[in-house]
Amino acid sequence: MSALPITDADVNAYVDGQLAPSRTPAMEEALVRDSALAARVADLRLQNAALRDAFDPWLAEALPERLVGATAGLAAPRRRTVPRWLGLAVAAAASLVVGIGLGWFGRDLDLNREGTPTTFTRQAALVHALYAGDVNRPVEIWAAEEKRLVNWLSKRLGFAVRAPDLNTLGFALVGGRLVAGNEMPTALFVYENADKQRLTLQVRKPAVPGGETAFHYALEGGVGVYYWIEENCTYALSGNLDRAQLLAIGRVVYGQLAALEASPPK
Amino acid sequence: MSTSPASDHPPLPQPELLAAIPRMRRYARVLTGDSSRADDLVQEALARAWEKRRLWAAGSDLRAWLFTVMHNVFVNQRALARHEKLHVSLDAEGEGFEAWQIPVRPTQYTRVELVELIQHVGRLPVDQREVLVLAVVEELRYEEIAAVLSIPVGTVMSRLSRAREKLRAAFADPVAGSSPLKVVK
Repeated sequence: MSALPITDADVNAYVDGQLAPSRTPAMEEALVRDSALAARVADLRLQNAALRDAFDPWLAEALPERLVGATAGLAAPRRRTVPRWLGLAVAAAASLVVGIGLGWFGRDLDLNREGTPTTFTRQAALVHALYAGDVNRPVEIWAAEEKRLVNWLSKRLGFAVRAPDLNTLGFALVGGRLVAGNEMPTALFVYENADKQRLTLQVRKPAVPGGETAFHYALEGGVGVYYWIEENCTYALSGNLDRAQLLAIGRVVYGQLAALEASPPK
Repeated sequence: MSTSPASDHPPLPQPELLAAIPRMRRYARVLTGDSSRADDLVQEALARAWEKRRLWAAGSDLRAWLFTVMHNVFVNQRALARHEKLHVSLDAEGEGFEAWQIPVRPTQYTRVELVELIQHVGRLPVDQREVLVLAVVEELRYEEIAAVLSIPVGTVMSRLSRAREKLRAAFADPVAGSSPLKVVK
Protein backbone atom coordinates (compact mmCIF):
# COMPACT_ATOMS: atom_id res chain seq x y z
CA MET A 1 0.00 0.00 0.00
CA SER A 2 1.28 3.48 -0.77
CA ALA A 3 1.59 5.86 2.12
CA LEU A 4 -0.94 8.56 1.28
CA PRO A 5 -3.81 8.33 -1.20
CA ILE A 6 -3.89 10.77 -4.10
CA THR A 7 -6.23 13.66 -3.29
CA ASP A 8 -8.09 16.18 -5.43
CA ALA A 9 -5.57 18.76 -4.32
CA ASP A 10 -2.74 16.56 -5.64
CA VAL A 11 -4.45 16.17 -9.01
CA ASN A 12 -5.01 19.91 -9.36
CA ALA A 13 -1.49 20.78 -8.31
CA TYR A 14 -0.10 18.15 -10.69
CA VAL A 15 -1.88 19.49 -13.78
CA ASP A 16 -0.89 23.04 -12.83
CA GLY A 17 2.76 22.10 -12.36
CA GLN A 18 2.54 23.02 -8.69
CA LEU A 19 2.74 19.63 -7.01
CA ALA A 20 5.36 19.46 -4.26
CA PRO A 21 8.36 17.41 -5.43
CA SER A 22 7.86 15.09 -2.46
CA ARG A 23 4.42 14.11 -3.77
CA THR A 24 5.41 13.65 -7.40
CA PRO A 25 6.66 10.06 -7.18
CA ALA A 26 3.42 8.94 -5.49
CA MET A 27 1.43 10.74 -8.19
CA GLU A 28 3.38 9.21 -11.04
CA GLU A 29 3.11 5.79 -9.53
CA ALA A 30 -0.66 6.19 -9.14
CA LEU A 31 -1.00 7.33 -12.76
CA VAL A 32 0.53 4.11 -13.99
CA ARG A 33 -1.67 1.99 -11.78
CA ASP A 34 -4.97 3.86 -12.05
CA SER A 35 -6.26 4.41 -15.56
CA ALA A 36 -9.26 6.46 -14.39
CA LEU A 37 -6.89 8.86 -12.66
CA ALA A 38 -4.72 9.03 -15.77
CA ALA A 39 -7.79 9.83 -17.88
CA ARG A 40 -8.80 12.57 -15.46
CA VAL A 41 -5.33 14.12 -15.57
CA ALA A 42 -5.38 14.00 -19.37
CA ASP A 43 -8.82 15.67 -19.40
CA LEU A 44 -7.71 18.41 -17.09
CA ARG A 45 -4.60 19.10 -19.15
CA LEU A 46 -6.76 19.35 -22.24
CA GLN A 47 -9.10 21.65 -20.35
CA ASN A 48 -6.17 23.86 -19.31
CA ALA A 49 -4.94 24.11 -22.89
CA ALA A 50 -8.43 24.94 -24.13
CA LEU A 51 -8.88 27.64 -21.48
CA ARG A 52 -5.62 29.30 -22.50
CA ASP A 53 -6.57 29.10 -26.15
CA ALA A 54 -9.93 30.66 -25.31
CA PHE A 55 -8.72 33.48 -23.08
CA ASP A 56 -5.31 34.41 -24.49
CA PRO A 57 -6.59 36.20 -27.59
CA TRP A 58 -8.23 38.79 -25.32
CA LEU A 59 -4.77 40.11 -24.58
CA ALA A 60 -4.25 41.17 -28.17
CA GLU A 61 -7.38 43.30 -28.29
CA ALA A 62 -7.02 47.03 -28.72
CA LEU A 63 -7.84 49.09 -25.65
CA PRO A 64 -10.95 51.21 -26.15
CA GLU A 65 -10.42 54.93 -26.46
CA ARG A 66 -12.66 55.40 -23.45
CA LEU A 67 -10.16 53.58 -21.27
CA VAL A 68 -7.13 55.08 -22.95
CA GLY A 69 -8.60 58.54 -22.47
CA ALA A 70 -9.55 57.86 -18.89
CA THR A 71 -6.13 56.53 -17.96
CA ALA A 72 -4.53 59.48 -19.69
CA GLY A 73 -6.70 61.68 -17.47
CA LEU A 74 -5.35 59.83 -14.49
CA ALA A 75 -1.87 60.96 -15.40
CA ALA A 76 -2.89 64.60 -15.66
CA PRO A 77 -1.05 66.69 -13.07
CA ARG A 78 -3.96 67.20 -10.70
CA ARG A 79 -1.51 67.14 -7.84
CA ARG A 80 2.09 68.09 -7.75
CA THR A 81 2.99 64.60 -6.66
CA VAL A 82 1.77 62.96 -9.85
CA PRO A 83 4.96 61.84 -11.55
CA ARG A 84 5.59 61.57 -15.19
CA TRP A 85 5.91 57.80 -15.36
CA LEU A 86 2.22 57.12 -15.59
CA GLY A 87 1.69 59.71 -18.28
CA LEU A 88 4.56 58.26 -20.24
CA ALA A 89 3.40 54.73 -19.78
CA VAL A 90 -0.12 55.58 -20.77
CA ALA A 91 1.01 57.67 -23.72
CA ALA A 92 3.16 54.79 -24.91
CA ALA A 93 0.32 52.35 -24.42
CA ALA A 94 -2.10 54.68 -26.16
CA SER A 95 0.09 55.28 -29.15
CA LEU A 96 0.71 51.59 -29.60
CA VAL A 97 -2.78 50.52 -28.89
CA VAL A 98 -4.58 53.17 -30.88
CA GLY A 99 -2.27 52.30 -33.72
CA ILE A 100 -3.34 48.73 -33.48
CA GLY A 101 -6.95 49.74 -33.10
CA LEU A 102 -6.82 51.53 -36.39
CA GLY A 103 -4.67 49.04 -38.14
CA TRP A 104 -5.78 45.72 -36.78
CA PHE A 105 -8.56 44.80 -39.13
CA GLY A 106 -7.16 46.51 -42.16
CA ARG A 107 -3.67 45.17 -41.74
CA ASP A 108 -3.64 42.66 -44.51
CA LEU A 109 -5.56 44.96 -46.77
CA ASP A 110 -2.85 47.54 -46.24
CA LEU A 111 -0.21 45.00 -47.01
CA ASN A 112 -2.00 44.03 -50.17
CA ARG A 113 -2.71 47.48 -51.40
CA GLU A 114 0.36 49.44 -50.54
CA GLY A 115 3.01 46.85 -49.95
CA THR A 116 4.05 48.98 -46.98
CA PRO A 117 3.36 47.05 -43.82
CA THR A 118 3.21 49.98 -41.43
CA THR A 119 0.53 48.33 -39.36
CA PHE A 120 2.56 45.16 -39.18
CA THR A 121 5.29 47.08 -37.36
CA ARG A 122 2.75 48.48 -34.92
CA GLN A 123 1.50 45.03 -34.21
CA ALA A 124 5.07 43.83 -33.81
CA ALA A 125 5.78 46.63 -31.33
CA LEU A 126 2.64 45.93 -29.34
CA VAL A 127 3.35 42.23 -29.21
CA HIS A 128 6.89 43.03 -28.14
CA ALA A 129 5.71 45.35 -25.35
CA LEU A 130 3.10 42.85 -24.22
CA TYR A 131 5.29 39.77 -23.99
CA ALA A 132 8.87 41.03 -23.60
CA GLY A 133 7.56 43.20 -20.77
CA ASP A 134 6.05 40.21 -19.06
CA VAL A 135 8.70 39.19 -16.56
CA ASN A 136 7.15 35.92 -15.46
CA ARG A 137 5.50 34.51 -18.52
CA PRO A 138 6.96 35.98 -21.69
CA VAL A 139 6.71 32.66 -23.49
CA GLU A 140 4.53 29.60 -23.59
CA ILE A 141 7.29 27.09 -24.24
CA TRP A 142 10.71 27.75 -22.74
CA ALA A 143 14.04 27.35 -24.53
CA ALA A 144 14.72 24.12 -22.61
CA GLU A 145 12.20 22.56 -25.00
CA GLU A 146 13.39 24.36 -28.10
CA LYS A 147 12.81 21.43 -30.38
CA ARG A 148 9.22 21.02 -29.26
CA LEU A 149 8.72 24.77 -29.58
CA VAL A 150 10.05 24.90 -33.12
CA ASN A 151 8.07 21.84 -34.20
CA TRP A 152 4.88 23.21 -32.73
CA LEU A 153 5.28 26.65 -34.29
CA SER A 154 6.22 25.13 -37.67
CA LYS A 155 3.12 23.01 -37.54
CA ARG A 156 0.88 25.92 -36.63
CA LEU A 157 2.35 28.31 -39.20
CA GLY A 158 2.43 25.69 -41.93
CA PHE A 159 6.10 26.07 -42.78
CA ALA A 160 9.46 25.35 -41.15
CA VAL A 161 10.20 28.02 -38.55
CA ARG A 162 13.60 28.29 -36.92
CA ALA A 163 14.88 30.14 -33.89
CA PRO A 164 18.16 31.83 -34.81
CA ASP A 165 21.06 31.41 -32.39
CA LEU A 166 22.02 34.84 -31.04
CA ASN A 167 24.33 33.63 -28.29
CA THR A 168 27.35 35.15 -30.01
CA LEU A 169 25.63 38.53 -29.64
CA GLY A 170 24.95 37.88 -25.97
CA PHE A 171 21.25 37.13 -26.43
CA ALA A 172 20.04 33.72 -25.29
CA LEU A 173 16.75 32.24 -26.41
CA VAL A 174 14.15 32.47 -23.62
CA GLY A 175 11.49 30.58 -25.54
CA GLY A 176 8.55 31.31 -27.76
CA ARG A 177 4.85 31.31 -28.29
CA LEU A 178 2.13 31.54 -30.86
CA VAL A 179 0.56 34.99 -31.16
CA ALA A 180 -2.90 35.60 -32.52
CA GLY A 181 -2.90 37.61 -35.72
CA ASN A 182 -6.19 38.41 -37.39
CA GLU A 183 -6.03 35.72 -40.02
CA MET A 184 -2.50 34.47 -39.77
CA PRO A 185 -0.83 33.12 -36.68
CA THR A 186 2.57 34.58 -35.81
CA ALA A 187 5.48 32.81 -34.16
CA LEU A 188 7.21 34.81 -31.44
CA PHE A 189 10.73 34.09 -30.16
CA VAL A 190 11.99 35.96 -27.10
CA TYR A 191 15.70 36.51 -26.40
CA GLU A 192 17.36 38.01 -23.37
CA ASN A 193 20.88 39.23 -22.59
CA ALA A 194 22.78 39.36 -19.30
CA ASP A 195 21.33 42.82 -18.59
CA LYS A 196 17.81 41.36 -18.90
CA GLN A 197 17.21 43.33 -22.09
CA ARG A 198 14.83 41.47 -24.32
CA LEU A 199 14.56 41.16 -28.05
CA THR A 200 11.73 39.51 -29.91
CA LEU A 201 11.62 37.98 -33.35
CA GLN A 202 8.22 37.54 -34.96
CA VAL A 203 7.74 35.33 -37.95
CA ARG A 204 4.66 34.87 -40.10
CA LYS A 205 3.58 34.25 -43.64
CA PRO A 206 3.36 37.40 -45.69
CA ALA A 207 -0.10 38.49 -46.76
CA VAL A 208 1.15 38.63 -50.33
CA PRO A 209 3.43 35.79 -51.35
CA GLY A 210 6.40 36.62 -53.53
CA GLY A 211 7.84 40.06 -53.93
CA GLU A 212 11.38 41.19 -53.37
CA THR A 213 13.23 41.06 -50.09
CA ALA A 214 13.15 44.45 -48.48
CA PHE A 215 14.48 45.74 -45.18
CA HIS A 216 12.81 48.44 -43.16
CA TYR A 217 13.14 50.10 -39.81
CA ALA A 218 10.40 51.73 -37.79
CA LEU A 219 10.14 53.20 -34.31
CA GLU A 220 6.77 52.52 -32.72
CA GLY A 221 6.05 53.88 -29.25
CA GLY A 222 9.70 53.67 -28.25
CA VAL A 223 10.15 50.15 -29.57
CA GLY A 224 12.51 49.75 -32.50
CA VAL A 225 11.27 47.33 -35.14
CA TYR A 226 13.52 46.08 -37.90
CA TYR A 227 11.60 44.02 -40.42
CA TRP A 228 12.05 42.35 -43.71
CA ILE A 229 9.85 40.43 -46.07
CA GLU A 230 11.01 37.46 -47.99
CA GLU A 231 9.32 35.34 -50.54
CA ASN A 232 7.50 33.17 -48.04
CA CYS A 233 8.08 34.83 -44.75
CA THR A 234 7.87 38.13 -42.90
CA TYR A 235 10.23 38.80 -40.01
CA ALA A 236 10.10 41.55 -37.39
CA LEU A 237 12.88 41.99 -34.88
CA SER A 238 11.88 44.31 -32.02
CA GLY A 239 13.69 45.71 -29.05
CA ASN A 240 14.40 48.78 -26.97
CA LEU A 241 17.79 49.10 -28.64
CA ASP A 242 19.11 51.85 -30.83
CA ARG A 243 18.74 51.56 -34.53
CA ALA A 244 22.36 50.58 -35.28
CA GLN A 245 22.32 47.77 -32.70
CA LEU A 246 19.04 46.45 -33.96
CA LEU A 247 20.18 46.54 -37.57
CA ALA A 248 23.39 44.69 -36.66
CA ILE A 249 21.40 41.97 -34.92
CA GLY A 250 18.95 41.89 -37.81
CA ARG A 251 21.77 41.20 -40.26
CA VAL A 252 22.96 38.28 -38.15
CA VAL A 253 19.44 36.86 -37.98
CA TYR A 254 18.96 37.28 -41.71
CA GLY A 255 22.33 35.67 -42.48
CA GLN A 256 21.66 32.71 -40.23
CA LEU A 257 18.21 32.06 -41.60
CA ALA A 258 19.51 32.34 -45.18
CA ALA A 259 22.26 29.84 -44.36
CA LEU A 260 19.76 27.48 -42.74
CA GLU A 261 17.51 27.83 -45.72
CA ALA A 262 20.33 26.74 -47.99
CA SER A 263 21.08 23.61 -45.95
CA PRO A 264 18.52 20.97 -45.08
CA PRO A 265 17.57 20.71 -41.40
CA LYS A 266 19.42 18.10 -39.42
CA MET B 1 3.44 52.27 5.17
CA SER B 2 6.34 53.28 2.98
CA THR B 3 9.80 52.74 4.36
CA SER B 4 11.32 55.32 2.05
CA PRO B 5 10.44 58.96 1.50
CA ALA B 6 7.87 59.58 -1.20
CA SER B 7 10.35 61.51 -3.30
CA ASP B 8 12.71 58.60 -3.90
CA HIS B 9 10.15 55.82 -3.95
CA PRO B 10 10.61 53.96 -7.22
CA PRO B 11 7.70 54.36 -9.60
CA LEU B 12 5.79 51.39 -10.93
CA PRO B 13 7.90 50.02 -13.79
CA GLN B 14 6.62 51.02 -17.19
CA PRO B 15 7.18 47.82 -19.19
CA GLU B 16 5.45 45.72 -16.57
CA LEU B 17 2.60 48.17 -16.30
CA LEU B 18 2.17 48.11 -20.07
CA ALA B 19 2.16 44.34 -20.02
CA ALA B 20 -0.28 44.23 -17.13
CA ILE B 21 -3.06 46.40 -18.55
CA PRO B 22 -4.39 43.85 -21.07
CA ARG B 23 -4.22 41.21 -18.34
CA MET B 24 -6.14 43.44 -15.97
CA ARG B 25 -8.82 43.88 -18.61
CA ARG B 26 -9.05 40.16 -19.08
CA TYR B 27 -9.32 39.47 -15.37
CA ALA B 28 -11.87 42.28 -15.02
CA ARG B 29 -14.00 40.70 -17.73
CA VAL B 30 -13.83 37.38 -16.00
CA LEU B 31 -14.98 39.07 -12.79
CA THR B 32 -17.76 41.21 -14.24
CA GLY B 33 -18.76 39.16 -17.27
CA ASP B 34 -19.27 42.41 -19.14
CA SER B 35 -16.67 44.21 -21.18
CA SER B 36 -17.79 47.75 -20.49
CA ARG B 37 -18.12 47.21 -16.74
CA ALA B 38 -14.75 45.51 -16.91
CA ASP B 39 -13.16 48.63 -18.31
CA ASP B 40 -14.74 50.72 -15.55
CA LEU B 41 -13.23 48.33 -13.07
CA VAL B 42 -9.76 48.49 -14.64
CA GLN B 43 -9.92 52.27 -14.65
CA GLU B 44 -10.93 52.37 -10.99
CA ALA B 45 -8.25 49.83 -10.10
CA LEU B 46 -5.53 51.82 -11.89
CA ALA B 47 -6.56 54.91 -9.93
CA ARG B 48 -6.49 52.92 -6.69
CA ALA B 49 -3.12 51.37 -7.58
CA TRP B 50 -1.77 54.84 -8.14
CA GLU B 51 -2.97 55.97 -4.70
CA LYS B 52 -1.55 52.87 -3.06
CA ARG B 53 1.61 52.59 -5.13
CA ARG B 54 3.84 52.71 -2.06
CA LEU B 55 2.39 49.38 -0.96
CA TRP B 56 3.79 47.65 -4.01
CA ALA B 57 7.07 45.92 -3.12
CA ALA B 58 9.48 46.84 -5.91
CA GLY B 59 10.71 43.73 -7.68
CA SER B 60 7.65 41.66 -6.80
CA ASP B 61 5.12 40.60 -9.40
CA LEU B 62 3.34 43.81 -10.39
CA ARG B 63 0.61 41.90 -12.20
CA ALA B 64 -0.34 39.94 -9.07
CA TRP B 65 -0.38 43.14 -7.04
CA LEU B 66 -2.60 44.92 -9.57
CA PHE B 67 -4.95 41.92 -9.52
CA THR B 68 -5.11 42.21 -5.73
CA VAL B 69 -5.97 45.90 -5.93
CA MET B 70 -8.57 45.27 -8.62
CA HIS B 71 -10.12 42.37 -6.77
CA ASN B 72 -10.57 44.56 -3.71
CA VAL B 73 -12.18 47.30 -5.78
CA PHE B 74 -14.51 44.70 -7.29
CA VAL B 75 -15.51 43.27 -3.92
CA ASN B 76 -16.18 46.76 -2.57
CA GLN B 77 -18.27 47.73 -5.59
CA ARG B 78 -20.27 44.56 -5.31
CA ALA B 79 -20.88 45.06 -1.61
CA LEU B 80 -21.99 48.61 -2.30
CA ALA B 81 -24.28 47.48 -5.12
CA ARG B 82 -25.91 44.94 -2.82
CA HIS B 83 -26.23 47.47 -0.08
CA GLU B 84 -27.93 49.92 -2.36
CA LYS B 85 -30.08 47.13 -3.76
CA LEU B 86 -29.17 48.03 -7.28
CA HIS B 87 -30.73 45.87 -9.89
CA VAL B 88 -27.34 45.48 -11.47
CA SER B 89 -25.65 42.21 -10.75
CA LEU B 90 -21.97 42.95 -10.85
CA ASP B 91 -21.03 39.36 -11.09
CA ALA B 92 -23.64 38.55 -13.72
CA GLU B 93 -23.80 34.88 -12.90
CA GLY B 94 -24.71 32.94 -15.96
CA GLU B 95 -25.32 36.05 -18.02
CA GLY B 96 -23.26 38.59 -19.77
CA PHE B 97 -20.68 36.23 -21.19
CA GLU B 98 -23.06 35.36 -23.99
CA ALA B 99 -23.21 38.90 -25.21
CA TRP B 100 -19.51 39.32 -25.82
CA GLN B 101 -17.89 39.64 -29.15
CA ILE B 102 -15.27 37.07 -28.41
CA PRO B 103 -12.11 37.07 -30.49
CA VAL B 104 -10.86 33.54 -30.54
CA ARG B 105 -7.92 32.42 -32.57
CA PRO B 106 -8.20 29.24 -34.56
CA THR B 107 -6.35 26.46 -32.77
CA GLN B 108 -6.84 22.77 -32.28
CA TYR B 109 -10.34 23.67 -31.14
CA THR B 110 -12.86 25.37 -33.31
CA ARG B 111 -14.00 28.87 -32.59
CA VAL B 112 -17.42 27.55 -31.63
CA GLU B 113 -15.95 25.19 -29.07
CA LEU B 114 -13.84 27.89 -27.47
CA VAL B 115 -16.75 30.33 -27.35
CA GLU B 116 -18.79 27.60 -25.72
CA LEU B 117 -16.03 27.02 -23.19
CA ILE B 118 -15.90 30.72 -22.33
CA GLN B 119 -19.64 30.68 -21.81
CA HIS B 120 -19.36 27.71 -19.49
CA VAL B 121 -16.72 29.59 -17.52
CA GLY B 122 -19.14 32.51 -17.39
CA ARG B 123 -21.77 30.32 -15.77
CA LEU B 124 -19.51 29.37 -12.91
CA PRO B 125 -19.96 31.35 -9.68
CA VAL B 126 -17.56 34.29 -9.68
CA ASP B 127 -15.49 32.94 -6.79
CA GLN B 128 -14.81 29.77 -8.76
CA ARG B 129 -14.15 31.34 -12.13
CA GLU B 130 -11.70 33.89 -10.77
CA VAL B 131 -9.65 31.12 -9.17
CA LEU B 132 -9.80 29.04 -12.34
CA VAL B 133 -8.60 31.86 -14.57
CA LEU B 134 -5.87 33.01 -12.18
CA ALA B 135 -4.56 29.46 -11.83
CA VAL B 136 -4.87 28.21 -15.39
CA VAL B 137 -4.74 31.23 -17.65
CA GLU B 138 -2.56 33.56 -15.58
CA GLU B 139 -0.64 30.63 -14.10
CA LEU B 140 -0.31 32.21 -10.68
CA ARG B 141 0.83 29.96 -7.87
CA TYR B 142 -1.89 28.92 -5.42
CA GLU B 143 -0.24 30.97 -2.67
CA GLU B 144 -0.31 34.03 -4.93
CA ILE B 145 -3.98 33.48 -5.70
CA ALA B 146 -4.70 33.17 -1.99
CA ALA B 147 -2.98 36.53 -1.48
CA VAL B 148 -4.83 38.19 -4.38
CA LEU B 149 -8.21 37.03 -3.09
CA SER B 150 -7.42 37.19 0.65
CA ILE B 151 -8.53 33.61 1.22
CA PRO B 152 -6.72 30.51 2.54
CA VAL B 153 -4.83 28.32 0.08
CA GLY B 154 -7.15 25.42 0.94
CA THR B 155 -10.10 27.49 -0.24
CA VAL B 156 -8.29 28.29 -3.49
CA MET B 157 -7.80 24.60 -4.11
CA SER B 158 -11.35 23.55 -3.30
CA ARG B 159 -12.80 26.29 -5.53
CA LEU B 160 -10.45 25.31 -8.33
CA SER B 161 -11.42 21.70 -7.99
CA ARG B 162 -15.14 22.53 -8.12
CA ALA B 163 -14.71 24.80 -11.12
CA ARG B 164 -12.87 22.11 -13.04
CA GLU B 165 -15.36 19.42 -12.25
CA LYS B 166 -18.22 21.66 -13.37
CA LEU B 167 -16.51 22.38 -16.67
CA ARG B 168 -15.82 18.70 -17.16
CA ALA B 169 -19.43 17.87 -16.44
CA ALA B 170 -20.62 20.60 -18.81
CA PHE B 171 -18.61 19.09 -21.62
CA ALA B 172 -19.69 15.59 -20.73
CA ASP B 173 -23.28 16.72 -21.20
CA PRO B 174 -24.94 15.09 -24.21
CA VAL B 175 -25.88 18.55 -25.48
CA ALA B 176 -22.20 19.30 -25.87
CA GLY B 177 -21.52 15.76 -26.94
CA SER B 178 -19.96 16.69 -30.25
CA SER B 179 -17.22 18.66 -28.53
CA PRO B 180 -13.73 17.15 -28.40
CA LEU B 181 -13.46 18.71 -24.94
CA LYS B 182 -15.85 16.14 -23.53
CA VAL B 183 -14.66 13.79 -20.88
CA VAL B 184 -12.59 10.98 -22.31
CA LYS B 185 -13.44 7.84 -20.45
